[in-house]
Amino acid sequence: MRFVGKIVTIHSSRGGTGKSLISVNTAAVLANRGKNVCLLDLDFRAPTMYVVFKLSTEYWLNNFLDRDCEIENVLYDLTQRYDTKGKFFVGLADPSMLAIREMSMKDRKWEMKALQRLLSLRKLFEERKIDYIIFDTSPGIQYASVNAVVSSDTVVVVTTMDALDIQGTRSMIEDLYEAFGKKTGILLNKVLLPYSVPSLSPLTEVDRESLSKQLKETFGIPIFGTIPCYCDVLRTSRTVILAFQNPEHPFTKDIGKFVEVLEEA
Amino acid sequence: MIDRLVAETLSRENISKTLLKLSRNLETLASKVDLILASQKRAIPVRAVDEKTVEKEIPSEALDVMTLLSLPDHLRKTAVTICKLGRATAADVAKETGRARAAESNYLNQLVTMKHIQRERKGKKVYFYLAK
Repeated sequence: MRFVGKIVTIHSSRGGTGKSLISVNTAAVLANRGKNVCLLDLDFRAPTMYVVFKLSTEYWLNNFLDRDCEIENVLYDLTQRYDTKGKFFVGLADPSMLAIREMSMKDRKWEMKALQRLLSLRKLFEERKIDYIIFDTSPGIQYASVNAVVSSDTVVVVTTMDALDIQGTRSMIEDLYEAFGKKTGILLNKVLLPYSVPSLSPLTEVDRESLSKQLKETFGIPIFGTIPCYCDVLRTSRTVILAFQNPEHPFTKDIGKFVEVLEEA
Repeated sequence: MIDRLVAETLSRENISKTLLKLSRNLETLASKVDLILASQKRAIPVRAVDEKTVEKEIPSEALDVMTLLSLPDHLRKTAVTICKLGRATAADVAKETGRARAAESNYLNQLVTMKHIQRERKGKKVYFYLAK
């Protein structure tokens, strides 16, 4: 029987919505639940995963897209490090200034070939029995991000309650995700007053349902989850992966609920 | 707070949505005009020499994601499928998109005319592919 996995792109219209944090913890929760996961950092303008996983490598995803190496050369197997039930692989973007500059200067033909390279990643489903490939992307309409959207099965748009974020998300739903006919859902992050003061009164299920209903009407697409603004999460170091180090934290639980929705999507 | 926010966003959105629709319609019209002009330009040499030779000489336009976004919806779906499959017949594309083979054949030929993809005949089958 053919093995069927899912490629999920975590995207947003603007920066600072918490995409990388959500990507890492989503991958971690999935791996903890026994899924074979491959997390790829496609944020070539501002790579973060090398900091989160404290890794340095000979081959980066940049080299894979440049056809200098194969995906096997890029992937790190962190299954043992985090003792996950499923396999846990990560692929990093090159954080050097030279690489960031080079990536921003690629021409259209290169980007077309990069898209084909991303589309070829589906072979991992069969070859490594990967259940989920998760792309962490740059915000907005960047080549690498749109390539990721086109290559994926499901797009998760992370947005905050900021008016500009909401406006930008609405535009991208129409101009980008719908244009490519992608299954898309919203993940509302850093939800503030009047819906929650986490330390005083947690976001209730009623609040979440009411908020989801209003947003579903605004955006016209499903709401995959609602995550309150947890001050301690914002203060936590980037190198701390809550899903691994604090599975009981409310943030980890919220990611868990989101993962359940994602699996159904 | 959210009610006010949503109301403000919606009113602004209605205007920009209408403008967006207008812009899309204009883009569709423009692409159709381009298509007609391109097919008229090609009409003479295709009749004069072997079709296969002519197709190989046509320089290809990169089919990158921004170009994909500028295509009309029906062509975009076909173009994305060719990106995914690499090389395929109209029947292969139809299997992926769930549309009729004849319709896909028409769309693929439009993409060839627009120089986004190339075409090659092998025996009875016609293959469409992205330029190397």
